[in-house]
Amino acid sequence: MAREGGPLIVATAVCPSPPLLLRELTGGRDVAADLRKACEEAVGGLLAAAPDAIVVLGADERSARGVRGRIPLSAFGGPGERVPAAEALPTSLAVARRLLDDLGARVPVEMGTIAFGADPQETARRGREIAARPGRVGLLVVADAGARRGPRAPGHLDERTFAVDGAVRAALASGDTGALLALDPGLCAELLIGGRSALQAMAHALAGRPAAGPRLLYADDPFGVLYLVALWPGERP
Amino acid sequence: MMRLRGRGFGEHESLVMAIVNRTPDSFYDKGATWDDGPAFERVRRVVAEGADIVDIGGIKAAPGEEIGADEEKRRVVDFVAAVRAEFPDLVISVDTWRASVGRAVCEAGADLLNDAWGGYDPGLAEVAAEFGAALVCTHTAGVTPRTRPHRVRYGDVVADAVSSTVALAERAVALGVDPASVLIDPAHDFAKNTWHSLELTRRLDEMTATGWPVLVSLSNKDFVGETLDLPVGERLTGTLAATAVCAWHGARVYRVHEVAQTRQVLDMVASIRGVRPPARTVRGLA
Repeated sequence: MAREGGPLIVATAVCPSPPLLLRELTGGRDVAADLRKACEEAVGGLLAAAPDAIVVLGADERSARGVRGRIPLSAFGGPGERVPAAEALPTSLAVARRLLDDLGARVPVEMGTIAFGADPQETARRGREIAARPGRVGLLVVADAGARRGPRAPGHLDERTFAVDGAVRAALASGDTGALLALDPGLCAELLIGGRSALQAMAHALAGRPAAGPRLLYADDPFGVLYLVALWPGERP
Repeated sequence: MMRLRGRGFGEHESLVMAIVNRTPDSFYDKGATWDDGPAFERVRRVVAEGADIVDIGGIKAAPGEEIGADEEKRRVVDFVAAVRAEFPDLVISVDTWRASVGRAVCEAGADLLNDAWGGYDPGLAEVAAEFGAALVCTHTAGVTPRTRPHRVRYGDVVADAVSSTVALAERAVALGVDPASVLIDPAHDFAKNTWHSLELTRRLDEMTATGWPVLVSLSNKDFVGETLDLPVGERLTGTLAATAVCAWHGARVYRVHEVAQTRQVLDMVASIRGVRPPARTVRGLA
């Protein structure tokens, strides 16, 4: 146990950020019901660990801290009033916001982004920052795996993705932070693995040590993008 | 709110009314459902395809052999009763201008009287009131049933259609018909040339703006055929184009031969209007 009041990551969850997790955007049929359920289980696991705060780290175009804003359904053509760009959450944080709202999270939530292309120095710095935050932290990492997994995939087919996605999947299933840190930024960028930097920052936040009792809650690519949902319970001082 | 057979329909719900002819000589199907067996098969098929209403008619609209009230009843009344028995929830409409026929079909279980000849028999609305049936009020400029338009002129065909159908609707309500169960129909091709029907389609929003639910009967009609220079049997695409425009303008009920295709058009237009979510959206959102 960490000393009283000291920094402590009480649990870590990983979710992807397809906009279709926002129920309003999937039309009459809920095409992402299973995925959403898995994400809710992961985030529910964070909340069940009684954190003082949820820290959300989402992958995005730019790195930012202390991000606030609203879920921009309108940006995707969805219903509701138009959200000005300056008030719109990035997609990864919008998905996180929705999951936390749907679960009725009452703890403070601190949201930030890390750039898709963040280099090893930046991911290490960001991870150490999160690890140093005082109090009991539930860490929610919003990170996507490859989007080039078939001819109908957003990024079409790149056969190389299966090995790299497979490594990410195995790392999340086994709690292997070292394997996350070993991901090659250039190759991940080519394969549209947008979550690489966020996952590496997460690995640094956990000080590169393996997780205890990791659970992979979802791993499938129904639309050509690999969605991985994981919950790493257990306190990580 | 529109009410048919005790059920309410919201302002963004559009209904498909499938035509079932009990005639040996209608222009489109040429007697295909003249016999009971094929007629019943058609009812079952259109219900399976998603029709909300069947419109049963015993006399074709065009001129032809004179059909008296007794023969008209012989063609439709027992059939209405049989359809009612098999489909307790289906809205059954009967296309007739005669009050005596209207009375007989209401007794047999009809819910809606489609007065396609614009109040030619003023007793029909009274029958609707008496039986709690719904009523379609159509614009036919007072012509005699089963006559073709000949050199018809209007100062403003849309204004004429609006004023006359609204007057018929208000009369029906005054006679006791439920105001939620009165529809108005500009009656494409009836007492109109093709230019008139095209203008009514183009300006259908002026009819929907009255607040009365609007029924349109466009299916395979001559105004489509003349516009595209196509014979009966090749007018579906044109019919569906006109259907889309009427749907955009907010028509509520579509009297058709082809149910499944119409339903697709109505769903597509409803989603374009933003009143129906697409069935399933993944593109760009995965």
